[in-house]
Amino acid sequence: MLKQLFPIKHVVGYVASLGLTALALVALMDLPEAVKMAILVVTAILQATLQLVLFMHIGESDDKRSLYINIFFAVFVALVTIFGSLFIFVWGWYA
Amino acid sequence: MKIDATQPLEYGTEENRNKIFGFWLFLGAEIALFATLFTVYFVLVDRYASGPNGAEIFEIGPVLAETFILLTSSFTIGLAVHAMRLGLKKQMMMFMIITLALGAVFLGIEIFEFFTYVHEGATITTSAFLSSLFTLLGTHGAHVTFGLLWGIAILVQLRKHGLDHSTANKSFIFSLYWHFLDVVWIFIFSFVYLKGLM
Repeated sequence: MLKQLFPIKHVVGYVASLGLTALALVALMDLPEAVKMAILVVTAILQATLQLVLFMHIGESDDKRSLYINIFFAVFVALVTIFGSLFIFVWGWYA
Repeated sequence: MKIDATQPLEYGTEENRNKIFGFWLFLGAEIALFATLFTVYFVLVDRYASGPNGAEIFEIGPVLAETFILLTSSFTIGLAVHAMRLGLKKQMMMFMIITLALGAVFLGIEIFEFFTYVHEGATITTSAFLSSLFTLLGTHGAHVTFGLLWGIAILVQLRKHGLDHSTANKSFIFSLYWHFLDVVWIFIFSFVYLKGLM
């Protein structure tokens, strides 16, 4: 019963998500700024992918092609919004 | 109503499949919404005027607790959907109740955190940094609050109607919403708190 209620895939995914959180904490140590940011970006993307694929089952339905396109497009809009604004307001690429 | 028995209960009818697809489109819009809030925060993060900055008010302890609780609740709602697909209604409802309880604890910590900030003189009107911080965290918190009410409503329906195409579909869509809140929190944890404490 326990094995039936706690499928190994979910348990491994859960442990991996906790591990990624612990790994992200490395960014608080004394390291070069670029390395810290790289750690945060990589762990956050892996966490999001883990949730999307493993827990949200994005690839299981017949509509999966449309779903992937929809999510990729949303992420594209998000990245353009964030980095476009940073380029203009923070990094001074307004010339 | 045409029912496809080869599919899991929540995908069993065309209407169900459309509802799940539609909810994914909504999540796409939610990604855009949170992206704008993150943008505002990133642009204004250094404008803390005469108020405190992130490094002064953020505390890693409560934030780690919130992260652990939300990741665990994401795991338990995943188990609830798994139990649902096995047709185990009682176990599924147990996992959903655990999920909602964890969500309530998360909200409690967040509210306590907000009180601490305000007590330290960091209010929403203190600086542009704090306005954007409270807006981002508050929007996520409001989503969790809505999720709690939604989850309770689904539990009531599961109790009343049992597991059928309609309640299974609603429960699955709720699980998508809950996982999404966890995804948003991951980015808040990394790029608001950890980056602020760096």
